[in-house]
Amino acid sequence: MLGFLARRLLYLVPVLLAVSLLTFLIASLLPGDLAYVILGDQATPEKVAALRHDMGLDQPIWWRYLGWLGHVLEGDLGRSFRTGQTVLQAVSERLPVSIELMLLAEGIGLLVGVPLAIACAARAGGAFDRFVTGTAFGMLSVPTFLSAILLIYLFAVELHLLPATGYVPLAEDPLANLRFFVLPALTLGLAEWPTIMRVLRSDMIATLQEDYVALARAKGLTPWRILFVHALKPSSLTLVTVTGINIGRLIGGAVIVESIFALPGIGRLIVGAIYTRDLVILQGAVLLVAAGFVVVNVIVDMLYAVLDPRIRHGHA
Amino acid sequence: MATLELGIRDKVVVAPARERSRGLGLLFWAAIAWIVIIFAVAILADLLPLPSPTDMDMLEKRAAFSAAHWLGTDGLGRDELARLIFGARSSLVVGLCAPVIGVVIGGALGVLAGYFRGRFETLVVGSQDVLLAFPPLILALAVTAYLGQSIFNLTLILGVLGIPAFTRVARAATLALSRREFVIAAQALGATHARILLRELLPNVLLPLTAFFLVGVAITIVGEGALSFLGLGVPPPEPSWGSMIGEGRESLDIAPRLAFLPAIAMFLSVLSFNLVGDRLRALTDPRQGTL
Amino acid sequence: MGAKIRARNVASIFLVAAFAAALAAAPASAQKQGGSITVGLELDIPGFDPLKVGVYDTSAETAAAAIFDTLTTLDDEGEPAPKLAVSWSHSDDFKTWTFKLRPGVKFHDGTPFNAQAVKENFDRQKDPANKCRCAFYVAYIHDVEAADEMTAVFHLNDPQVNLPALLSLQNTNEVMQSPTAWKTKGDDYSRNPVGTGPYILKSWIAGDRMVLEKNPDYWNKGHPYLDRIVLKPLPDAQSRFASLQSGEADIVWDDEADPDNIQRAQKDPKLTVHTYEGSGAQVSAFNTKTPPLDDVRVRQALVMALDRKKVSQAITNGLARPATNPYGDGSWVKCKDDGALPEDAEKAKALLKDYGKPVEFKMLVTATPRGRTIGQVYQQLWKRIGANVEIEQVDQATIPPRAFMRQFQLTPWRIVDLADPDPQMYANFHTGSPVALANYSDPELDRLLEHARTTADLDQRTEDYCAISRLINKQAIWFWSFQNTYYAISNARLKGLPKMYGGVIDVSDAWLD
Repeated sequence: MLGFLARRLLYLVPVLLAVSLLTFLIASLLPGDLAYVILGDQATPEKVAALRHDMGLDQPIWWRYLGWLGHVLEGDLGRSFRTGQTVLQAVSERLPVSIELMLLAEGIGLLVGVPLAIACAARAGGAFDRFVTGTAFGMLSVPTFLSAILLIYLFAVELHLLPATGYVPLAEDPLANLRFFVLPALTLGLAEWPTIMRVLRSDMIATLQEDYVALARAKGLTPWRILFVHALKPSSLTLVTVTGINIGRLIGGAVIVESIFALPGIGRLIVGAIYTRDLVILQGAVLLVAAGFVVVNVIVDMLYAVLDPRIRHGHA
Repeated sequence: MATLELGIRDKVVVAPARERSRGLGLLFWAAIAWIVIIFAVAILADLLPLPSPTDMDMLEKRAAFSAAHWLGTDGLGRDELARLIFGARSSLVVGLCAPVIGVVIGGALGVLAGYFRGRFETLVVGSQDVLLAFPPLILALAVTAYLGQSIFNLTLILGVLGIPAFTRVARAATLALSRREFVIAAQALGATHARILLRELLPNVLLPLTAFFLVGVAITIVGEGALSFLGLGVPPPEPSWGSMIGEGRESLDIAPRLAFLPAIAMFLSVLSFNLVGDRLRALTDPRQGTL
Repeated sequence: MGAKIRARNVASIFLVAAFAAALAAAPASAQKQGGSITVGLELDIPGFDPLKVGVYDTSAETAAAAIFDTLTTLDDEGEPAPKLAVSWSHSDDFKTWTFKLRPGVKFHDGTPFNAQAVKENFDRQKDPANKCRCAFYVAYIHDVEAADEMTAVFHLNDPQVNLPALLSLQNTNEVMQSPTAWKTKGDDYSRNPVGTGPYILKSWIAGDRMVLEKNPDYWNKGHPYLDRIVLKPLPDAQSRFASLQSGEADIVWDDEADPDNIQRAQKDPKLTVHTYEGSGAQVSAFNTKTPPLDDVRVRQALVMALDRKKVSQAITNGLARPATNPYGDGSWVKCKDDGALPEDAEKAKALLKDYGKPVEFKMLVTATPRGRTIGQVYQQLWKRIGANVEIEQVDQATIPPRAFMRQFQLTPWRIVDLADPDPQMYANFHTGSPVALANYSDPELDRLLEHARTTADLDQRTEDYCAISRLINKQAIWFWSFQNTYYAISNARLKGLPKMYGGVIDVSDAWLD
């Protein structure tokens, strides 16, 4: 077990390095010379050259990368030239929002997807199964931005039930906070449940065909017990994996929802940094998001290993 | 790695006995019909007697259905039907070409990784992990900011973003097949790697890959839609369903059809590709389930 | 917006100063104390330190209007009125202005407001060691002297007749910030601004909201009325309007690119549409050094092809007001003949035929719905006269560098509403200026710009500016599409909003009915 863990953690290092290098390259290659952006109307060639020298922009790219990496390893991700905030400050202000959105969305996905999957697997091929799978299929074909707009139109503008945009920190007012999160979480959740349902359903159907389930049935165990104890548990592996992957993806990937619902999350921070050429924030935030994703994947892998002894013992 | 084993597990589903005897079903043929229709109009777009999709009749914005404009005009007075049809063309071009990049590069990498295993496999899987770690929208933004906006760049970025998924499918299929008897037999008979790859593995991997390719088309159309919605996709004035939805959003209460017509078109197309891909997957491997 | 010099102003203003609020034209409803409002801004605010942000955009100006005070403000007629300065006088050549400051004013951190504070504000911005982007805009000020504790003297490099009016804008150059605060807080000052204004910054969550609370020690007794102002950036136009409709926001910024919502609000008795017709215009600049735009016939043809009424109808439902010169109806510069080219597509086609060669070029637009729409409309109009224009979308941050590096053929730009046309006209058209985007040098144009800058006589200056307009229009080096019309939509209960001078939504003196 420890060996497995050590191997996975070791694997993290080159991946994170590669991620940091790629991020740095992307940020550095963005057009719109930073010096011009900062100097604005006073960008005379001499001033530009002077500023570039001051900021170290005239150094070769690999040198700048090593310099940045050095700072990162010391914990200094830099400061935005626009707002003066450190990257860590900017990200930590936004992280709770993204995490809450992601947890609520995944929660909705699970709340809807898991029961439906169980119900469908129990009567695979039946009318209910076909209806639900058909609907899931249909939902997969609806883009997030479209569901967002429709939900806003329905619940906020027409029915005045929920707020269209906005955010209140959880600590300040939990009830209001949840109200603001309903529509965005629902938008994402509606996109999450089909995948969860389908994967779990497939897995459970397969498990239900297995011999030991037939044995359980023959032994006279109730259908509920068979479903939950013998079928759901092994299938939980795939559930954990899918959920983990989704969570990792959602942290940085909910940009569209964040924009439409005006949620101050990390996705918007990164996109804003691209638009304003705030390269320090861009590099730092993307690095943190990517690193977070990789780490979450490793955690999921380890959970998978814990739950499935076959993997633990090196049959991966 | 464990997370990628998922690929194998979710393929193993037994089709209920009832399903198998049904054949392809009505929905399947409806989906095929829709795909044929949009292909036809997209290819024949120039020949059809339509007003130009970019000509603006500025005083006739958001006009209702009429003889001159069968589906009315959009927010700038352009013919809606023409834009829908030319939009189909944009969406299909990107929707088909981008997954080709994915299936060729991803498929090759996946098969090779699944067959040779070892260091190469770790490298491939590792680099996929690196790519997957990035929020895809960020990559798209960076590429368009750096290379400029065009259908070509759009296809490129969506294609590259799709590579990991195809690699995963190909590798999973290869891993499953490598343990089968016919491969072991070929190896015992002294066949070269190339021969095994090309003659034994590839034909069998092609089937799940093709099925996934169709799903990939569906995903790409949605992806292109999202990017165009944000203004990053097909550059104006070339119409695309995604940008039409984005533009129609501003008129949601005055003329909701401006957003809904392209939304329905996109939905039906995505659904159709998903359906066909899924049925093909069910057909090609009797052990695999339908929807 | 006139700017006449009345000698008796000095005395009367001194009297009026202490009773400024009471003497304002009595509103139909009495001001009510208390309550809180939420303002929906277009953009997120990066910070307030001029050294970090350079200049404020409209969203930051709204916040600045509440947190800071300026030396003067503009009254209903656009005339400068006292704020932190109670009176002012000038030398005959308009190069020296003396401001008497209001006594007993303190910054939110207790630092006293005096001439030394005024001096330090300007010194800091102008200091070349600070490399402030804001320095450019106060280059005309040579220095500010603290003659005595409550007297600040502005020594200018060139005469500026409208200095008091210019000082009323709530931008980085004009708002008074606490020297103690920036000295002690350093890098953190930008997000923790300290002013003398009616509201104090209570909390600020980046990208989400800024909460301002009533300043209990505000020098203008009885003001402000509201207990709290919440500022929220809502970049998405639809979401912003939806917030107003659902009641989450009490007032939102808007512009004519969102005409459906404006018109909807105009019909809604629960909403009020505030509008202000400012000077300046939305403009575009040709890079006259790149073919085919180096030929004046091509440029003139392109300008003549623009049917502004149709474009206004297409993009803004007719709300946008066509512009034929860089000043507009909101400016004191009124020209009998501004040299505008006729809108004539046939003539345009003829000019291009005369040119003979194919006309193809790229136009830069912002990667926003508005930018794309404008681009496509122009593209269409030019296609009709035979020119092939490709749209190049770039994000907002890329436009200034591309513009300054002259890496464009046609780029959008803006001339904003200011009390005086000189700063922008000089910057945009004088040879050698970094913002002289057209790459066009004309000694006569330079001469006119210099003359307009150094003359005190308004009629003379008007003549100069009209001649400048004729020259620019004839050579078609820049063109103007629409005048600046600023909008804000609010809940009908919100009162006390002054005219949106400079496009700024100023809620510092508002109240809820």
